[in-house]
Amino acid sequence: MVLLCACEPAPPPPTRELVHLRGTPYQRGLQHGQQLKSKIHSFYTTLLTSSLFPYLGREQPDIATLLPQYDDERYQHGQFAYQLLLDSAKSLERSIPLGVRDELHGISDGSGLSYDQVLVLNTFVDTTLAVRGIALAIRQSRAPTVVSVEFEGLGADGVDNDGDGQIDEADEGLLSPYRPVAGASLVEVPPGLTVKVVLKDPDGVDPATVRFGLGDTVYTADTGLTMVTPTPDVLEVRLTVPQPLPIGASLALVVSAGDLKLLDKPAPTHASFMRDEEILFTVKGAGLLPAQVQRPPLTDGRTRPPSVALSLAGPATLGGQPLVAQHFALLDANTSHKHTAVFVHHPDHGPGFAVVGWAGIVWGFAGLNQAGVGIACNPSDTLDNSVVGSVLDQVADLSTATLVARGTPIGFAERLALEQATDVAGVEQTFASLSHAYGWACVAGDAAGGQRAIEVDSDIFKEGSKGIYPFGPGDQLASVGLGDLVLGSDYARNAVDVTSFTVAGQRVVPQSAWATTFFRSRRAVAWLEQQVRAGYGQLDAAAVEALLADPTVVDASDSMNAVVLELASRRLHSAMGQVPATAAPFETLELDAELSK
Amino acid sequence: MKARLGLLLGLVSWSSWAAETTVVPAHTFVLDLSYIQSSLTQRFDDQRHALPLIDPILRYEPGGGLQGTLSATPRATYHFIVAQILYGLTDRLTAALYLPMVVQTVIDANFGWVPGDYQGGLGRRYSFDDFWAWAGSLGQPRPPDRWVGNRWTFADLFVGGRYKVPSFSWLKAIGLESAFTLLVALPTGKPADPEQVISAGTTTWDLHAYGDVDVHLAVDRPFFADASGVARVNLGADLFYSFFRPRQMVSATGALNPLLTTYAPYTGATYWLDPGDWLGVTVSLDLVPLLGPTRASLVSGGDLETANALPPLLTVNLSYTYLATAASNWTSDSALWDYDREKQWGPGDKHAFKVGGTVSLLRLGLPLQLYASYRAQDLLHGRNTRATDSFTAGLRVLAKFW
Repeated sequence: MVLLCACEPAPPPPTRELVHLRGTPYQRGLQHGQQLKSKIHSFYTTLLTSSLFPYLGREQPDIATLLPQYDDERYQHGQFAYQLLLDSAKSLERSIPLGVRDELHGISDGSGLSYDQVLVLNTFVDTTLAVRGIALAIRQSRAPTVVSVEFEGLGADGVDNDGDGQIDEADEGLLSPYRPVAGASLVEVPPGLTVKVVLKDPDGVDPATVRFGLGDTVYTADTGLTMVTPTPDVLEVRLTVPQPLPIGASLALVVSAGDLKLLDKPAPTHASFMRDEEILFTVKGAGLLPAQVQRPPLTDGRTRPPSVALSLAGPATLGGQPLVAQHFALLDANTSHKHTAVFVHHPDHGPGFAVVGWAGIVWGFAGLNQAGVGIACNPSDTLDNSVVGSVLDQVADLSTATLVARGTPIGFAERLALEQATDVAGVEQTFASLSHAYGWACVAGDAAGGQRAIEVDSDIFKEGSKGIYPFGPGDQLASVGLGDLVLGSDYARNAVDVTSFTVAGQRVVPQSAWATTFFRSRRAVAWLEQQVRAGYGQLDAAAVEALLADPTVVDASDSMNAVVLELASRRLHSAMGQVPATAAPFETLELDAELSK
Repeated sequence: MKARLGLLLGLVSWSSWAAETTVVPAHTFVLDLSYIQSSLTQRFDDQRHALPLIDPILRYEPGGGLQGTLSATPRATYHFIVAQILYGLTDRLTAALYLPMVVQTVIDANFGWVPGDYQGGLGRRYSFDDFWAWAGSLGQPRPPDRWVGNRWTFADLFVGGRYKVPSFSWLKAIGLESAFTLLVALPTGKPADPEQVISAGTTTWDLHAYGDVDVHLAVDRPFFADASGVARVNLGADLFYSFFRPRQMVSATGALNPLLTTYAPYTGATYWLDPGDWLGVTVSLDLVPLLGPTRASLVSGGDLETANALPPLLTVNLSYTYLATAASNWTSDSALWDYDREKQWGPGDKHAFKVGGTVSLLRLGLPLQLYASYRAQDLLHGRNTRATDSFTAGLRVLAKFW
């Protein structure tokens, strides 16, 4: 009896690990593979085999219609997603430094996962984001679009509502054609708002799906919206608010609608829905210019914040200590959080460094090196990506075309920068030396207080920037002062990432026009900026940890890790191993001490 | 035939006590046939909270957040026919063979769904049907709401024996009867199909009602015996230990349910399960509200005095069992997966209350006993165990052929 009752439950295995890797790249990979063998296998299976592969596999029929190569035998029998990702992995492999390839071989040998599988595990993020971006953009193009938005009564209110420097023009309140913008579309709108939104869809807009959200109130066809169908493909929706809006408020009118054509594929049956379009404005009395208006939080339960990142230094922080921080959210799928790890690299040559990542993956979305350089990258959805580029290159003969990513996945770029850079200029130089597979918005900081944001895309249109868009706090593109950079999952400098055009009947448009993260990102950044402004000069690691754990910037479903890097003291604080990541406490790693072990 | 029936006189020592000291007279058979319906609907966690048998499953769409929470509150019902053959090798030693046959197992899944994150592409949150449509497009079929299986399938058979301790003077002085019982399971049961989302097996591990090797030490203390030695009250106790052998199990490859049951790639093709042993004690109270009528018959050799020594016409049994269970351990290539199983099967206990009755027709001249009982394990919450309630009805035929 005593023996039976004395048994305690088995302690849970760690969902976060600290892994020291020493020696040559191959040796480090081998150690990684051996130490995390079990987790590498379970991560690969649960994230890819059982989740992502079947999910991507649903796209095969549609993609094969356009690109018949995907009817080939090797893409059949459930192999579509794996082969698609492997094709890209083989292409991306060419941009991976030889040493890192050795490390991947080491992981393969240590874990027993095949090299191809390890390669896919290390490259699927950029490829998947690019393919998903294309699929999303195509779906958005099938959905209703906002043709115009008209706030009535602004033509004679004696105010410059649209921030163009003129007062009471004839079309003062008319946004036509409607273009999504990062800031407010209009300011100083009368409290007794009447707004007309014109929606268009070739299949017709379903009035029953039209929804206007304003503050805490939702308006539908049954509750306050009046609708007119001048032509079968156009629906004019008008709203007059029943009660005056609060004086001086900043509000977002959230417009959503679906069309009348039900699609069976991909299941479940659904209409094509536009993304929630957020039209930001202020009510009379706010006294703000359009660019000064902050997006208010939305409490409608329909939105989740994307990844956010910060660089803080100098006047922004307590004692001027430089910090880089990030809350990364993308794809947990109820498994990523069980496979987290901090890898401390003790290379034979060059500075030691640490990355915050996952079992089987050689990089992280955040890392810190011995020189005090810290980097964090957020995805920034763009159609200026390498997979779109590969399609454009093959557009003359789509019968042989495939979707292939090329360039350097961002994780490998970060790894390279951590191995080489001693300051932010070095990070920028490393990033600039690479072509990038997808769009990312990164922040870098160094121990001396250097700060840089570096946005990247694949530059498929050869716009002269080589896909690199660096800026600092002084540019005031993503800053509230001279010591901060606040990034979300959209572009600040590269805002017009693509010049709109049509190819094969498909509109290619800027991020702001299609990315479902765009408004979410703007809103999260607005809140962060507000907090940074409020704490300016007093921010330290603990304060930033608290910021990253605030529900406003926490994606409760897909949060993957949260990191605060103290660059001067080379301390790495990370929260992970749970969902959301900040449900776990931040744990501190002293990089210098770890590297001396 | 007459001679054989006459030898049924030996049945006087066959009682109806709930505890485990009863042995079969030498050269006597007891043929016992019973029907058991066993229902399982809940388990107890480490804090003794009653929970559904299956933890809710959070389902995610890659990059799309939480689709919803898939829950199931399954009710598993086993229908058994159990044949027991006992044979008295001597007046103190009885050999036993237990043949449990599962007539069928029915599992009602009772799926539920709590919608998750808003899905912009759908314009709504996933409903239950949306989720299965989505899953179907990924090759994951919707499991049936009701699973019926194990039709006429053997559970693990048992062989064993019971030895009644001689009536030593010190035992006699305190009025105790005592016996040892040893039962050993033969692996004739069928494990649950790992590829199925909803299924059940028939091994000792699946049934979780007895071990692979059970050792019992039982005592009975009768009270208020009449002139024929038949007691009106009996107190019994049974201390037992159940050993479960470690077993190698087959991992699911996802061949049937790729989204829900794919773990062989990281657990390995097989894994080991050590269920953990049990230590238990039962205390019982037997009451005799009705002793007779009694008549001389073939069973009593035509002798009324002998008939008066036969088991009472009606015996009511009440018992309580406390069972301490050791932790179950999984050993696969994945510590994470092992832990996800082990956290539901830590060291624990359960409490079983049983009420039953036996009608013995021996006194009326028929070598037959009828019995029924109901056992509940959910009246008092256990810890890290499953609560099975069961109803049993059966009959015993006693016969002596030489």
